[in-house]
Amino acid sequence: MDQTPILSVQNLNIKFSLRGKQLHAIRDVSLDLYEGETLAIVGESGSGKSVLTKAFMGLNDLNGWIESGHIYYKGQDLAAFTTEKQWLTIRGGEIAMVLQDPMTSLNPLKTIGAQITEALKLHRQVTGPEAYRKMIEILNDVGIAHPEARAKQYPHEFSGGMRQRVVIAIAIACSPKILICDEPTTALDVTIQAQILHLIRDLVRKYNLTTVYITHDLGVVANVADRVAVMYAGDIVEIGSSREVFYDARHPYTWALLSSLPQLGAKGEALFSIKGTPPNLYAEIKGDAFAPRNPHALKIDFEERPPFFDVSPTHKARTWLLDPRAPHVEPPEILKRLKKAGALK
Amino acid sequence: MAKYLLKRIGQSLFTLAIILTVVFIMVRQMPIDGYFDNIDKLDDAVIQATLQKMGLNDPLLVQLKNFFVNLFHGDLGTSARYSAGVPIADIVVRKAPISIKMGLLSMAVSLVLGIPLGAAMARSKNKFWDKFGTVFIVLVNAVPAAVYYIYIQSFGSTLFGVSMLFDEKNPVSWILPVFSMSLGNIAYYAMWLRRYMVDELNKDYVRLARAKGVDSRKITMRHVFRNAFVPMIQYIPTSLLYTVSGSIYIESLYSIPGMGGLLVDVISRQDNPMVQALVMIYSCIGIVGMLLGDLLMAVIDPRISLQKKEGAR
Repeated sequence: MDQTPILSVQNLNIKFSLRGKQLHAIRDVSLDLYEGETLAIVGESGSGKSVLTKAFMGLNDLNGWIESGHIYYKGQDLAAFTTEKQWLTIRGGEIAMVLQDPMTSLNPLKTIGAQITEALKLHRQVTGPEAYRKMIEILNDVGIAHPEARAKQYPHEFSGGMRQRVVIAIAIACSPKILICDEPTTALDVTIQAQILHLIRDLVRKYNLTTVYITHDLGVVANVADRVAVMYAGDIVEIGSSREVFYDARHPYTWALLSSLPQLGAKGEALFSIKGTPPNLYAEIKGDAFAPRNPHALKIDFEERPPFFDVSPTHKARTWLLDPRAPHVEPPEILKRLKKAGALK
Repeated sequence: MAKYLLKRIGQSLFTLAIILTVVFIMVRQMPIDGYFDNIDKLDDAVIQATLQKMGLNDPLLVQLKNFFVNLFHGDLGTSARYSAGVPIADIVVRKAPISIKMGLLSMAVSLVLGIPLGAAMARSKNKFWDKFGTVFIVLVNAVPAAVYYIYIQSFGSTLFGVSMLFDEKNPVSWILPVFSMSLGNIAYYAMWLRRYMVDELNKDYVRLARAKGVDSRKITMRHVFRNAFVPMIQYIPTSLLYTVSGSIYIESLYSIPGMGGLLVDVISRQDNPMVQALVMIYSCIGIVGMLLGDLLMAVIDPRISLQKKEGAR
């Protein structure tokens, strides 16, 4: 894997204004995305996964803004972009996105051929017959049979899995460098999920894309990701290679998340769940955001935000447990089953 | 498509037949006064003879049959009291064109002004055009129409130096009444289009279009507008009906010899044959409007031309 970051997020803070109150959605996040890698961002709903990646494309709602920090891409600071014209140089052509729900993410009144061609015309400077030929080629690429006939059809004539293939085709048609997949399989049924994941993986290889997966499905992570970033309450709490995060997790939140995998439960045993609720992002968070739900929380966890401790050159976690002065805490017993189960590919 | 069309036309005819039958039976329940211009001065023998001649003493079913047969030959009957003895078709042909002309003009003005206003409001949510439009809509809806109609008439005629009354041969005199008639519809179209467009703007396909790099003006024009227009089509039947029936108030304010108020007139004067004929004409127009709306919907929305029923959107 190439070790130059294609996109670099530095100390990013994003806030939203909701009903007169301010919500701190992304809290001082730094993240490097390396060329050609597949990074998965995991975390529960509301942890800021989508907000973070939407910020790469200026797609957050108008009531949100970047408070401070930088997003460097090809020598530009995307965080400083203000006009739509600037963003149009990034959207699609540099960074493309696959949305969660294929049932609603296509325009119901336009043929899918027209919707793919629209992207081709915008980003590949092709028109007329050449655009058509290219559109058919991409439909073939995403595994849609009889592309000539299908291109004339409308979204309602496609099944959920097929629609997601069309959405992926649109993203590919933009010929992006980075592909963001925002829970691409959540809305699909299990048998289709695997097909779509394979499809994305093949296309990523064929078109040499850097990929960011947003998901709360750790099964997806294990299947596709080179690296995993775990987000909690608008902050990345642990990041490392898939192997490191799955088999050698250090942050108590990651432990809790992995322990909640239903596959790890034994018959007759109650499934693990994380006690409590995520913190209120309207209030300023002091210390480690996970501390109130963390059975291993130290006194300092409530007072000071932990820095990143390096576990290995590629693996780091934001928890005071890694401080040399901290008491030794063993990861939960149940996580040993992960290795036994051979969770990774 | 052809099959769908035939099915819809068949349904429309069936609906029309039911409406006509119901109106026909209801009119038969009215006092017979409604068939005579001067019943007080007639003696019973004459009355009975006339009723006999008009076929009104026949059994109901025979009358119904005759009514449909006459209708089939384009005979709407004769006015009894409104303008006694004149064929109803003549009255309508004399009055309708002017109302239709004014109505179509006003519909065009409302669409040409209302739709861009609604679109501009949706695009600039909470900014100038949205606020301007909201003030306009609230004003038009809150102030009784009679008040601003009179203002428009008196100020407009002094400002532009046009006559306060309508003159068919002078197109300038059309401006004020057409504009007055349009105001309400401009507000109506703008309000609903804004609402539907704002709904559409929050949908995922708009997000995807943004993510693929389409600029916001093109998103509005190419993606959102057409989707927002589909539910707007349901207002076509009513608009069409208003177009033909004319605006009572405007027509009397400017002395326009149109259809406005004709139905109310003939009902209050108990002109039974005319009530029957006018209700039939208006129902026809309403039904044609609905048919038109459905067909337009099928043309714009590919999901509707399907024969089998799909789940509601």
